Amino acid sequence: MSSRITTGMVQRNVLADLNRVNAALTRTQEKLSSNREITKPSDDPFNAARALQLRESLAGTQQYQRNIQDTMGWQETSEQAFSQMTSAIAQVKELLVQGSSDSVDAGSREAIAKEVDQLLLSIKESANATYQGRYVFSGTRTNQAPYPLPEPVAPNQDVFQGSPQQIERQIGPGVTIEVSVSVSGVLGEGQGPSDGRIIDNLRDIAEHLRSGDAASLRGADMSGLDANLESLLGLRAVNGSRQNRLEAALTRLSEVEESTFKQLSETEDADMAKTLIDFNSQQVAYQAALKAGANIVQVSLMDFLR
Amino acid sequence: MSISSFYGLQTSLRGLLAQQRALDTTGHNIANASTKGYSRQQAVMAASPGLAIASGAVQGGAGAHIGSGVDIQAYRRVRDTFLDLQYRAQATRLGQEAGRAEGLDRAELALAEPSDNGINKQLSDFWDAWSNLSEAPPDQAAREALVEQAKTLAEAFATVDQQLELVGQQARSEFDSLTQAGGELEQISNEIVALNDTIRRFVTAGDAPNDLMDQRDLLLDRLSELGQTSITDNGDGSVSVTFGATGTPMIDATGFHFQAPATLANAGGRLGALQTLSNVPGGELDSYRLELGQVATSIAAAVNQVYDHAGDGTNFFTTTGPYAAGTMALAAGVTAATVRTGTTGEADDNKLALQISELRGDAPDGAYRAFIARVGSEVREATRNEANAQALTDAVMDRRDSVAGVSLDEEMGSLVRFQRAYQASARAMSTMDEMLDVLINRTGRVGL
Repeated sequence: MSSRITTGMVQRNVLADLNRVNAALTRTQEKLSSNREITKPSDDPFNAARALQLRESLAGTQQYQRNIQDTMGWQETSEQAFSQMTSAIAQVKELLVQGSSDSVDAGSREAIAKEVDQLLLSIKESANATYQGRYVFSGTRTNQAPYPLPEPVAPNQDVFQGSPQQIERQIGPGVTIEVSVSVSGVLGEGQGPSDGRIIDNLRDIAEHLRSGDAASLRGADMSGLDANLESLLGLRAVNGSRQNRLEAALTRLSEVEESTFKQLSETEDADMAKTLIDFNSQQVAYQAALKAGANIVQVSLMDFLR
Repeated sequence: MSISSFYGLQTSLRGLLAQQRALDTTGHNIANASTKGYSRQQAVMAASPGLAIASGAVQGGAGAHIGSGVDIQAYRRVRDTFLDLQYRAQATRLGQEAGRAEGLDRAELALAEPSDNGINKQLSDFWDAWSNLSEAPPDQAAREALVEQAKTLAEAFATVDQQLELVGQQARSEFDSLTQAGGELEQISNEIVALNDTIRRFVTAGDAPNDLMDQRDLLLDRLSELGQTSITDNGDGSVSVTFGATGTPMIDATGFHFQAPATLANAGGRLGALQTLSNVPGGELDSYRLELGQVATSIAAAVNQVYDHAGDGTNFFTTTGPYAAGTMALAAGVTAATVRTGTTGEADDNKLALQISELRGDAPDGAYRAFIARVGSEVREATRNEANAQALTDAVMDRRDSVAGVSLDEEMGSLVRFQRAYQASARAMSTMDEMLDVLINRTGRVGL
């Protein structure tokens, strides 16, 4: 169709073209200044939803890392307490060897027995270790010392006051780890149930020292102490292996965080080099459109008729 | 039969007058070069009826017609009514797509995604707060933080819901202000009715009121942007207009009859778009609110299911009705002091907090993201449709302008053409004059 080109058409088309180029330029400028490929969901609906998901999983990963840091603090407190308990047991063992000798007189045995009493108290103190004001060995009942001090009167003096339910921590999507350990199995509940655990063991030793029952000291008490030391070390190993697991999880999470961050950046961030090139070419197009428009709109037959 | 000696003077005079009228029309076109809706006009010239000579005009005695100059037959409006039809159909579509894109764009802005203020971020912070609480159930600060974050999340849902509702209400009130008595629809129609009257009077008298018809066409264009119109020529210069797909009569020979109902069936155009956006129930914004409500309900339900471990109806969140996003709130009795973290009530029992923080990334989160993707796609589609409709409208407008628009170059050409023709007619007249001068003043003066 051979069409007449009218003045209004030319003006309108020049204006529409300018607007179009200008709109593209504005959009590119927006990308440059925000450094974002996606500023609204409609820019790219699929990737916008993906970016939302990546942002959330990034936030989740960071949260798990914070959880692990906190859990590690708890584990270290437990580890220190175990270390103190172990050295206390080692001291008891020395005293036991010393006190079970027939050459020790009653006065010295009494002194040794008193020392054993003190060591028992220090073991209980260690068992009452706290992390951020919470008793680490009380299970979920962290507001309650597992072995209250000063000791209540017998027969309740050695009864474990914590909860059998242990505390779990979330260290990954669907991954939890037990943070608290049950010390009641190692420390026991004293002479009441006569369970042969550390407290019962130590109370027996002090009693036998005072009564001068060297045979029991050398026999059942000594072997009991060895067995209890074993189980304490076993518990400590469990705690230690958890610490290893936490460290491994932390490393893995920081790797996940890095890769999620990279994916998010690839999804959401503007490609600077490409955007700058786009910007320049659009700017050139805009200037060309302006110049062409100005020339076309200016010239008419009037310029050439006298 | 002899012909008057003055005959040629009359012929030239007709030429002078006709060229002058043609120059006037050209001037009118130039003056209106940028008038909206103006169609260029032409003075249509035709040779005037010749002087019939019955016999003896030529050798052999036969008769003849001798040319008598030119007459202006009509002042024609150059316009293609078929292109008007095309243009109006496109304008209706553009009005509809533009209205829809505008409304959806506002809805998208209300979502504020992706940003640090959107629901996605608040939801993520909410799960973080539960996770933090599971780390330290007895910690007062963690408990306060959770309760505050839960309130913030509920507020974020409520704000988006309100914004979506507001966009719908704005569309509805625009619809009302266009259609109500004295609204734009009625104003345009009344102007058309008035023009109909005037044009009919002129047309019946055999006249063609070009500029009034241009004005009426412009008003009909505007009307078609608002909704689908169907225009019939009544044959006497006036037009009748029916509105909407169902053809509700709006303007006829007797005037304007239109009672805007609350809902127009398939109105199309801007009115149709406003209606599709704002209808409750069934409107697009309404469907967004319902979907957001479902997301809010599913989040509340997922949290409550864990929180109410004993099944005694102790909930964390409450939501009511289908527009749940707007009503989401913390259940009565949930405070920093009372918030449950575990099942036993022991200080560090974090079982429930753990289970709730495990909900992160589950179905409710996914449902929200799907919602965002849906809104994004629809806005994108609406924007693309608008751009398409705009391109088509521009193309038709170009074609219409190509026929009806004023080209200044062409008018300049006409100006020169008619000016020269005028000059030549004047020259012809002075030639006659000189001839008569010879006849009157110098003939028969032999020997004087």
